[in-house]
Amino acid sequence: MSVTRVIAAIPEAAAVIALPPLLLSIVVKTKAWFAGRVGPPWLQPYLDLYKLMNKGVVYSKTTTWVFRAGPIVNLAALLTAATLVPVLSSGSLFGFAGDVILVAYLFALGRMFTVLAALDTGSSFEGMGASREVTFGTMSEPALFLSLIVLAIGSKSLQLSEMVGSQLFAAWGTVGPAMLLVVGALLIVLLTETCRVPVDDPATHLELTMIHEVMVLDHSGPDFAYITYGAALKFLLLGSILLHAAFPHPGWPLWIDAPLRLIELVGLATVVGAIECSMARLRLNRVPLLLAGATVLGALAAVLTLTGSMR
Amino acid sequence: MIAVALSLAILGCGALGSIVLARRPHAALFVSLASIVLAGIICCATAVRTLLGAASPETLSVSWPLPIGSATLALDGLSAWFLLVIGAVSTAVAVYCWDYFRASIGHEAIWAATALLNILVAAMVLTVCAGDVVLFMVGWELMSLSAFLLVGFHHRDARTRHGAWMYLIATHLGTAFGVLPVFGAFTAATGSTAFAGFAGAFDPSRAAIGAIVFFLGLVGFGTKAGLMPMHVWLPEAHPVAPSPVSALMSAVVIKMGVYGLLRLITWLPPLSRACAVAVVAIAVITGVMAILYALAQRQYKRMLAYSSVENIGIIILGIGLGMLGRATHQPILTTLGFGGALLHVLNHALFKGLLFLSAGAVLRATRVDNVERLGGIARSDPVNAGLFALGCAAICGLPPLNGFVGEFLIYAGLLHGAALNSLLVAASALVGVAALALIGGLALAGFSKLYGVMFLGEPRDAQVRAHATPPFMLAGMAMLALGCIAIAVGARPLGGALSVPLAVIAAPGLDPRAYFDAVLSPLAWVSIMSLLALGAAGALVALRRRSDRPELAVERQSTWGCGYSAPTARMQYTGSSYVWKLAQGFRSLLRPRRLVTQPEGVFATQVSLKTETADAAIALGYQPTFRAVARVCERLWPLQRGRIQQYLMYIVATLLIVFAVEAWLAPFSNESPSKVQPDTALRSSAPEGSQSGGNRSP
Repeated sequence: MSVTRVIAAIPEAAAVIALPPLLLSIVVKTKAWFAGRVGPPWLQPYLDLYKLMNKGVVYSKTTTWVFRAGPIVNLAALLTAATLVPVLSSGSLFGFAGDVILVAYLFALGRMFTVLAALDTGSSFEGMGASREVTFGTMSEPALFLSLIVLAIGSKSLQLSEMVGSQLFAAWGTVGPAMLLVVGALLIVLLTETCRVPVDDPATHLELTMIHEVMVLDHSGPDFAYITYGAALKFLLLGSILLHAAFPHPGWPLWIDAPLRLIELVGLATVVGAIECSMARLRLNRVPLLLAGATVLGALAAVLTLTGSMR
Repeated sequence: MIAVALSLAILGCGALGSIVLARRPHAALFVSLASIVLAGIICCATAVRTLLGAASPETLSVSWPLPIGSATLALDGLSAWFLLVIGAVSTAVAVYCWDYFRASIGHEAIWAATALLNILVAAMVLTVCAGDVVLFMVGWELMSLSAFLLVGFHHRDARTRHGAWMYLIATHLGTAFGVLPVFGAFTAATGSTAFAGFAGAFDPSRAAIGAIVFFLGLVGFGTKAGLMPMHVWLPEAHPVAPSPVSALMSAVVIKMGVYGLLRLITWLPPLSRACAVAVVAIAVITGVMAILYALAQRQYKRMLAYSSVENIGIIILGIGLGMLGRATHQPILTTLGFGGALLHVLNHALFKGLLFLSAGAVLRATRVDNVERLGGIARSDPVNAGLFALGCAAICGLPPLNGFVGEFLIYAGLLHGAALNSLLVAASALVGVAALALIGGLALAGFSKLYGVMFLGEPRDAQVRAHATPPFMLAGMAMLALGCIAIAVGARPLGGALSVPLAVIAAPGLDPRAYFDAVLSPLAWVSIMSLLALGAAGALVALRRRSDRPELAVERQSTWGCGYSAPTARMQYTGSSYVWKLAQGFRSLLRPRRLVTQPEGVFATQVSLKTETADAAIALGYQPTFRAVARVCERLWPLQRGRIQQYLMYIVATLLIVFAVEAWLAPFSNESPSKVQPDTALRSSAPEGSQSGGNRSP
């Protein structure tokens, strides 16, 4: 890795670390705008994180080390994944052939520990949330992998930053319909993995209907700050993969590339906010159908790409 | 090579010593376990020497009293890899056994169990190092029989007897209808029982025969490995065996089937694509169905047994991918497929051994085999809980551990295959990726349930008490856990060691080493990223600690019950409800049965709900088949009158029929030598030539 690359990577890494709460803020602001309210200040998520980091913690008497490890492992896994995902520029900090598998399994690692931390409390509600989380996580996994395989075939690479890089420009030309399906599948995966409407409602007020929020009921203080930040970071990472796949940039210089990506991210957060305002959450037993739909989209895209590239 | 013979001798002495010292149980236990540890270490050292390329493949022949076969031990890269698995796991299991069996001295015939353990390990060493059909079969059968006796160790329990018999019948059906025909075909084709001449016994041009032999082998070795639909003995036999035996069987014994299959592949010419695709399909079905069945289980050892079937599916998926690579002449697929399969063999041996040993510690402490009655063990037995958590994370293929490394290779191979310019290969790779992703997700659900319900939360049953696990049991588990971590950290050197067994499997003319650096450089990255994740976790802990100032106290409260102030342990989520939604999603595959008694009247007295998931292979396949066989056999009852005169008459009749057939065929058998003279001469000359060549070389 050249010296200039390293120097260029530092501000980008700082931006990637700083961005996630802003996206949450945009989603909240969008929802407020739809409802005709002003909404909380733009920097509210940052202030919340600061407040939580300086709070004390309460642990349940039932819990073990798993409960304390949960938020830390989750965030560590996501931060590691962040080094492999291209966010603002078209390159990532690290990268190797097959890193996309590592990214997917780092998400799984985070999920495993979040779920175990929830089960550690012995609470029925949190068990329920954990059950839903693994169910929907399991069902979204094939959709994610099928989408990634399409990107891999389209770009002829197994490295995530190349899979969603400028090579995709050609793929959009040859197998455009397949790419469109992939974007659809990835959007559903994004909404599922980040617990957004129509799969989960982050603003719900009843424990029985929650998924992600109910799993973290017993976390407090810095632990909860890690969880909140981790959720936002996951949104940023999956969103970046989606955007890079949807709008491949043909190798523009960084000063055009990065601001454009930032605008796209803001746009994505607005779209997610708009989805939350415009539709209700699905009934829980409908969600598997949505995820099966995403898998079918991915499979269809894969078939289209295969037959397209055979020609 | 002498080392293998030495370890066999040590194991034999251990078995004998245990029997001789039966009256002094502590001495017998010590002698027999020490011999396993010693032999295991010798096996590991020998295997590592061969895998690092310090020792070249070698053979050892001694005089042999039987008229057929020869006592030839051969150690090449493939044998060495499995020898490493055997040595590592049996050493850890032996250490574990010291505290496990010591407590029940005086109640049970421990000397017999440990003597059989010695024989089992020796039989497996013999199986992977045999260089001759007869010797292989001796090891194979010895392994089956000693494992059968070990599974049936608690034979007073009817379920145990059922599981043991099921194992014995399954393994012998597999041997009779799969393994023996395969060896028969090779022996007939080469005219010799030595493995050395088997490679190239079948002409690549006669693809059909090769395919038939391969699928016979898949049935025979697949029965031992637990491939669907021949897996039915695993969920019956593993839960009832003593836990160290389940660990050894699940971690190593079933891998002998994988060894047999790989050995068979080295002998056969590259099979057609259709065969490879069929193997991929079988592997996918095995993996997905087994992990679904695993989800539905309430007995944790049974769940682990189903998970073993699932992992065999992943291994066979790698093998299928490697075969695709051989069929399409894509060395990168061969390397990644077979390499991933071999690595997963070692990985699964480590983490499944760990999980069975850890589950065995729970079973021994609580005497409860149902997850729904457990809970909160992490607080009464924290070290064991930590080890079990590590095993769960490893088996789900989560990154900083070894499970990820093996699955990574298979995934990478499948992704490479999907980008190939062949629709059949790409399509099967695509299905493989989707299935592997689904299996990964389901495994995560299943093992988070297992750990969450067994170890976390509050104890669900006040009568069930757990206590800390004794030190030697923990030591045995810790050895396997260290192996899990070491493989993740040292993935790159281990990948280099893989090139030795791969050189044996790869098709002639393709040197896998040429592709190694390109393929395996990601492994170094995987290790680096694992360390990075650990570093990130450390940084987060430090960040948290600094903010955790003294005035911000850590409070201990009871779990928040949403305003309800008197929560009880019975309100916790159960394991069944945890996976209910998934089981519902896949109910068309699982076919769970619900037996409901609806409440009646105002004050209902009788309400019940019972769900069970029967294995479709048993319910739809084996039970009807065996019933039909039994019905046919019942027709033969009239022949059985219990009079000796009648039986004598049967014998005479049989003899007469044999004579008649002989007389009928006699003209042909006399004529045939003269007619087929040139052909037989040609046939017999070839093996003779190779034999003399073989004799000359040492």
